[in-house]
This record gives sequence, structure tokens and C-alpha cells, in this order.
Amino acid sequence: MSKKNFSIMVMAIITTLFIISASSAESLKIGSMSPLTGPYASDGTDIKNGVLTAIEVFEKQEGGIPGYDKIELFPQDDVCDPRNAVAAANKLINLKVVGVIGAYCSSCTIPASETLDEAKIVMITPASTNEQVTDRGLPYMFRMCGRDDDQAPAAAKFMKESLNAKTIFIIDDKTTYSQGLADGVSKNSKALGMNVVTHDHVNQGDKDFSAVLTKVKAANPDILYMSLQGYSPAALMSIQAKRMGIKAQIVTQDATFQPKFMEVAKDAAEGVYLTYGFTDPTTPEYKAFQQIYEPKYGKIAAYATYAYDSTIALLRAIKAAGSTEPDKIKAELMKLDFNGASKHVKFKENGDSGSSYIAFKVQNGQFVPYWDPAKGLIK
Amino acid sequence: MAHLELKNITVRFGGLYALSELSFAIHTGEILGLIGPNGAGKTTIFNVLTGVYKPTEGDVIFEGESILGKKPHEIFSRGVARTFQNIRLFSKMTALENTMVAMHCRSNKGVMGALLRTNSQKAEEAYIKEKALEALKFMGVVQFADSVASNLPYGSQRRLEIARALASEPKVLLLDEPAAGMNPSESSELMKDIARISERGIDVLLVEHDMKVVMGVCNRIVCVEHGIKIAEGSPQEIQNNPKVIEAYLGQPAAKHD
Amino acid sequence: MDSFIQQLINGITLGGIYALIALGYTMVYGVIQLINFAHGEFFAAGGYVGVIFLSFFTGLGYMETHPIFCLTASFALAMMYCAYLAIGVEKIAYKPLRKEARLAALLSALGVSIFLSNGLMLTQGVYDKAYPSELFQGGFNFGIITIGYLQVLIVCLTGALLVALNLLVFKTKIGMAMRATAQDKTMSALVAIGSNNIISLTFAIGAGLAAAAGIMVGLYYGSVRYDMGFLPGIKAFSAAVLGGIGNITGAMLGGLIIGMVEIFGAGYISGEYKDVFAFIILIGVLYFKPTGIMGENIDDTRV
Ligand SMILES: Nc1ncnc2c1ncn2[C@@H]1O[C@H](COP(=O)(O)OP(=O)(O)OP(=O)(O)O)[C@@H](O)[C@H]1O
Ligand SMILES: [Mg+2]
Repeated sequence: MSKKNFSIMVMAIITTLFIISASSAESLKIGSMSPLTGPYASDGTDIKNGVLTAIEVFEKQEGGIPGYDKIELFPQDDVCDPRNAVAAANKLINLKVVGVIGAYCSSCTIPASETLDEAKIVMITPASTNEQVTDRGLPYMFRMCGRDDDQAPAAAKFMKESLNAKTIFIIDDKTTYSQGLADGVSKNSKALGMNVVTHDHVNQGDKDFSAVLTKVKAANPDILYMSLQGYSPAALMSIQAKRMGIKAQIVTQDATFQPKFMEVAKDAAEGVYLTYGFTDPTTPEYKAFQQIYEPKYGKIAAYATYAYDSTIALLRAIKAAGSTEPDKIKAELMKLDFNGASKHVKFKENGDSGSSYIAFKVQNGQFVPYWDPAKGLIK
Repeated sequence: MAHLELKNITVRFGGLYALSELSFAIHTGEILGLIGPNGAGKTTIFNVLTGVYKPTEGDVIFEGESILGKKPHEIFSRGVARTFQNIRLFSKMTALENTMVAMHCRSNKGVMGALLRTNSQKAEEAYIKEKALEALKFMGVVQFADSVASNLPYGSQRRLEIARALASEPKVLLLDEPAAGMNPSESSELMKDIARISERGIDVLLVEHDMKVVMGVCNRIVCVEHGIKIAEGSPQEIQNNPKVIEAYLGQPAAKHD
Repeated sequence: MDSFIQQLINGITLGGIYALIALGYTMVYGVIQLINFAHGEFFAAGGYVGVIFLSFFTGLGYMETHPIFCLTASFALAMMYCAYLAIGVEKIAYKPLRKEARLAALLSALGVSIFLSNGLMLTQGVYDKAYPSELFQGGFNFGIITIGYLQVLIVCLTGALLVALNLLVFKTKIGMAMRATAQDKTMSALVAIGSNNIISLTFAIGAGLAAAAGIMVGLYYGSVRYDMGFLPGIKAFSAAVLGGIGNITGAMLGGLIIGMVEIFGAGYISGEYKDVFAFIILIGVLYFKPTGIMGENIDDTRV
């Protein structure tokens, strides 16, 4: 090796070491994991934006975390693919993040959390509603959103009591989330005496639903229950159903809670019902979030608020723990009890934070709270 | 007067000299025969003249201007057309289409014209079609105009190749063993056609193994062996040239590959 | 029975769209033996140019006063845009590799595909872009059967484009030059057919057809999205292979078959496995006829 090459190499090593030590001394690292490309890129981007907003708010309004100049986010793209999710988890472990917000798809959260849990890294999902997420007893797994086994009974009860439905045609797109929820709706509907005429499946990324909708039209059910991953296929299916003249009432779920649903489906979105965790948009916490989020990222969508609350919860716990030790952070998370933007946050022993599913109706391009399982019609 | 001329051409493939220091010219108004045993370098001469091979050394002059290094299609457009020793037709296209394709360079309407079917486009296509049919008629294959080339009888495929070359309105026509595979009556018929081509004012360079044919139709003959010109002159002179007799006529006549 | 006819109409619509995209794969393969993996992105780009112009016209109110003009203009602009995009891609990413091993161009094509789809994502965002919804809603109702106006439009327009392409390829001088280039590039070069021009033209036509399909999909399904080129791209490529890659008629046939199989698979067996049925058909045909349905042998009438 020539002298010149050698000195360049030494310089490179020194610079690298300097950069590494400099950055680790200054910032607290947290990770996020959601699909930033692929079919669910929009929902995944909402999550990332929610986390970024929370960091900004926390640094400005709560003074950040003592001992750190700033909080740094390492957003990972899992493309809603379990393999990518595990790879992202490993990458975050190597980056030595203190906690992770994510993932979006239950099928990613489940395997990624196994990996993160071994490294004792806290994971809070803002969006994965499958029961298995918290039912596996992982000590560092938390959930800000609701659970499918709470959502499914709420949806079934709504269809029975408010819509007087007798026959239901269920369609899902075979993700852990969408199929799990559809199975739950099917089971609960049958238990309530409704008839599930067909439970059919489509594929992720499909755009053409004419074949399955022709079946729906022939079956002429009271309800078309769409359990699809994301607002985009839900909008496409609503448009096509309307165009085919399908009379069945469309009921769908939390993944559709995205203003883009109305933007794309327009008229076809009107009158669609969906179940989603109740968030009161009039609370000061929600408004505080809205004020920072909307000018930067546009209208608040399905999981941004949960991602925001997840991040605030994580950062508050780290601050209270006064250390990055996993068990101390976990202990502080369990102690949290505050009004978040999405709901009142209080974690249970298994890491869940409770569900508050109600039915919304799309009216004049807005999601309007319509029916509460506990109280019936709202207003 | 020299119309198309090779000057001191050397073509080397690795260690093999396919042509060395070769010079001759095709004169205006003549049918020049090119003979030589197998592997002598005749096809290589064609490839040099048409720009397919770039010679290692030497120059190619066409109408007083060097065409060395020009692309094959440029040389073709200037008026040097050829046929191939192994028939190279667009086998899945009709005889008429094969002929029309060769007139591509004689037209100038673009894609938009083709798509929008402008009047001038239609007129041009009609003109090209007429010219193509004329060429087919000239070579006596017009009855096959709408047949797919690969379905034509062998002799007609050879004639179609010549028709295609003629359709491009060449000034010089290079024919590489056009009578190969034809029976004697077919090939004597072909020689009459070659004479008629010459009468149209097209200079012809003819490679042919069949001596009777060559002697009958050519004004002048060049003989090459191992890439070297060993003789040049009238059919009589060539027939009596001892080198030629030794190199070529001495061999058991006309072996084809 | 009613459902059957309805599914048939659904199948023809979807199949027509696949056929339009498949043509680009097959034509490019016919001329330069390259599987242009970036082809699906021209379809997506076409959908986006379409939504941009249609929204623009709708915003100005022209859509109501001059619907035919607006639609024609949007189609023409999208097709032209994608045609030039494809020519540019060919010149930058494929032409320099023409003399290299085939794999090089193939990898370049994959790279271009990723580049274009990410470019769309960065410039147009990750969210769906909605088509103006007032366009061609409703349809003809015959009892339970509904033929949407859009389905009629798509089928007619697809048919017209296919006929136009056939006329161009088989009846014009330029089409003749394309077929000649596809058959024997050296020989075509000798008769002064500029293969560069023909290759550019082939890319342009393929991308133009894909762009038309992109707008139709946008109109039909109501929205476009940056990654919309991927799945239809794969399906259309399968269609091209099924029909016999390099063969124009084969690509049309392949597109229709894949569309039909998908719709009937979803309609009568289960939507879950419809892609599987399409691929079973593909594998089945290739097993008995490796060159595809219309692919006779290597130098068949290709473009
Ligand atoms: N592309 C090439 N690469 C290497 N060698 C070549 C090439 N083309 C021709 N040759 C060689 O050059 C010599 C002359 O070949 P050419 O084809 O010109 O002969 P020919 O006189 O046409 O013979 P024939 O009567 O058999 O057609 C031969 O030895 C041949 O093998
Ligand atoms: Mg030869």
C-alpha cells in the first residue's frame, strides 16, 4: 500500500469515528416502520408524518429530553412485506434506537416485534389491529389503536341494530389484518343471526373488482362488507359498485378512515359506513396536533393521530425514566395516563390501550360520527 | 470510364489475407465478370464495395468520390445494390413487399404521414408500388407478387432478389452467383435478363462459376485467386490465360458450396 | 346466464386493456429482442398525464361544453408524451447497450422501471389521484346486466387502436420497414432502412398504446397511482408471452385470454386465486407450445 493511500484510509477511519461519536453524543434515536412505497405508501407516510409532528411538538413544547440535543427519527420502509419488516427491525437494532413506532400492517408488526423484543426495544404500533399483536405476551409490544376483536363485534352489532341487515356479502384482500377482521365480522354476524351469503377474497393491488361485484349484484345482499387494506382499494371498489348499480349498503373498516377515500371515490363514498376508533376533534390535544400537522402534511388521515400519540407516549416515558434502559421505559409507559390527540391513553397489562369503535357515515365528503355501540345513534 | 473502383484493397481477417493489394474497376456501360476458385475472395470484394467490410488498406471510389467507411445503407442509397450468394429475402413478407422495402431510401415521408394517411403519402406509396411491380415484371416474377417469399420456387427467389435490387434504381448492380442452383435453361434465361439490365444503363458486376454463362454475357472478366488478381481482360484473353487455366479452369468445373 | 354475459363483458374490457399494454412488450421484443420491463411505467405515466389534462379541462368547464375535444386532446397529449418518453428512454438506457450481452439491457430496463416509478412517486405523491368523476358515469341496463358507458368506450377505443395498429404494420410502408427490421436487421440496414428510426418508432407506438390504456384505466377505475404500472405490466407481459412474444396478433389474443381467465376465475371459482389461474394457463400453453399460441418459430412475422 502506498503512503498516500494509507494516509487517506487513516483519515477516512478517523472521520468516520468522529461522525459516529459526534452523532451518538447528541441525539436520541427512535425508529419508525411503515410502508413508504408500494400499495400502502400513503398510509405509511401518514404514520411517518404523525411521528415527525410528535417529535417537533415534544421538542418545542415539552423541552425535549435532557442530555440530548435533539430527537432523531430513522424512518424505515417495510412495504407491508414481512421480510422487509424483519430487515428493518434488524437495521433499527444496529442503529441502537430506543424505541420504534410501527408497523402499519399486522403482518409486519408481528414478525418485526419478535426481533425487536429480543433486543428489548419498545415497539408501539399505531395501526396494527390484529389480536395477535398483543396476545403473544411480548413484554415490549404496545398498541395505540384498537383491536379487531373489538372492532368486529362493533361492526356486526351496528349492521344488525342500526341497519337491520339480514344478509351480508364479505370481501377481504387476504392480509393478516383484513382477513382476520373479515373472519371476525363473519363470526359475529352469524352469532347475531345474520346470514353471511358469501365470504370472497380479492388480491392486494387489484384494481378491477368487476368479477366479484357481479357476484355481489347477483346475490343482492343487504350489506357489502369491505375489509380491504387501505383506502385506495376501498375507493375503487365503491366506485365500481356504484357504477354497476349495486344496491347493497357498503360497510367498511378503519383502514378506510382517510380523507383521500372521499377525494377519490367522490359520490360513490357518500353514505358508506365504517367503524373506527372514536376521536373527538374538539379536544385541545387534537387541535394542538392539527395545528402543526395540517399546514405541513395536509388533512389528518387514519393513523397519523395514533402515530402522534404513540410517539408522545414513548418520548414521555423515556423522559420520565431518565434513561434509555428498556425496563425503566416500559415501567414508565405503564404509568402513563394522559389525554392524547386520539383518545385517553392508558396502557393495559398486555400492552393494549383499549378500543373505542363507533360507526361513522360519509356525509358531504366528511366522516361523521353516526352510531355508538353503547349509546346508539349519535345526536 | 471507371464507375466503381477498388484501389489497392487489402482485407485481413486475423492472419488470413482475404484480399491483398487488389485493384480493378467497373466501367460505365459494361458487364464485368468476376471469377475465381472457392474462397478466392469474391464475396469479400462485394462486402467491401457495399460497405459491409471496411478494408484494412486501400480505397473505394464511386463516381469519382471515395466511399470508404460509408455505412452500407448510404452506399445503397447512392446507387450500389447487390444480391447475395445465400438468398437473403425477408422470408415472411410477400414478394411485392420485399421489393417495396428496398425503395425505402427513395421516399421521404415520415411516420406522421404514414399514420395520418396524407394524400402525398398515399401518392408516394402508390408510386412505390407501381415501381416495385415493374421490377417484378422485369424479372418475370410478377405472378408471385402477393406470395410469401419463402413459398416461391428457388429460381424465382433468386430473381426476386434481383428485382428487389433493381427496385432501388441502382447505378451499379452486384450479383453474387445469381445462377447458383438453377438448371441450364433457367440460367441461360437469367443471362438474357442480365443483358437486359445492362441495356437499361446499369453497370453489372457478376460473380459466376458457370464459365459458359460468364463467357457469354460479360464484356470483360477479372480473375482472382487467394485474394490476388491474377488476370484481367476480354473473355478470349481470360480463356487463354495460362494462370487462369491453372488456377481455375484446370479444376473440375463449377463446384458449389 | 345473466351473470355470465356480465362477466364476459367485464372480461373483454379488462382483456382489451391488457392487450393494449401487451403490444408494447411484443413489438419491442420483436424488433430488438428486449423485454422492456419499464413498459408498465409508460402505462402509469399515461394515466397521470391523462388525469392532469382532464382535471384541467374540467376545471375550465370545457369538459361539459366540448367533451369530445377534451377527451381526444387528453388522449393525444398523453400518448405523445409517453411516446417521446419511451424514445428518450431507449436512446439513453438501451441504445448504448445494443451491442452488449442481452442481460445488460434487461438490467438497464429494470433500473429504468424503478427510476420511472419512483420519479412518479416523488413528483406526484404516494396518494391516489382521482379522475374527474362526472365523466361517463352510468351505463346501459338490461335487467341485471349493466354495460357501463366506459366499458363501451374502452372496448371501442381499444378495438379502433388495434385496427389502426394492424393497418400501420401490415398495410403501410413504414409498417413494412418495421417488419423487415424485425426479421433481419442486417439486411434491412443494407436496403437503407434506418434501424434507429424504426426502433424509436416501435418504442413510441408501444408506449403510446400503453398511455391510452393508462387513461382508460384511470377513467374506468376512477383513479391512478404511481405504482399502477407494476401488476398490469406483469399481466400484460404474460399475455405477450402467452400469445407468442414478438407476434402482434398473439399479444392481442393473449391479453384477451388473460383478462377473461382472470374475470371468470374470480367470478366462478374464487377471486383469491384468479392470478393463479392466469399463470396456470400460461404455464400450460408454454408446456405444450413453448413459443406461445401464435409464435410459430423464431423468425415469425414479428415486429
Ligand atoms: N468474416 C470473415 N471472417 C473471417 N474470414 C473470412 C470472413 N469472410 C471471408 N473470410 C475468408 O476470406 C476468404 C475469402 O472468402 P470469400 O467468401 O470472399 O470467397 P469467395 O470467393 O466468395 O468463395 P465462394 O466461391 O466459395 O463463394 C475465405 O478464406 C473465407 O474463409
Ligand atoms: Mg462467395
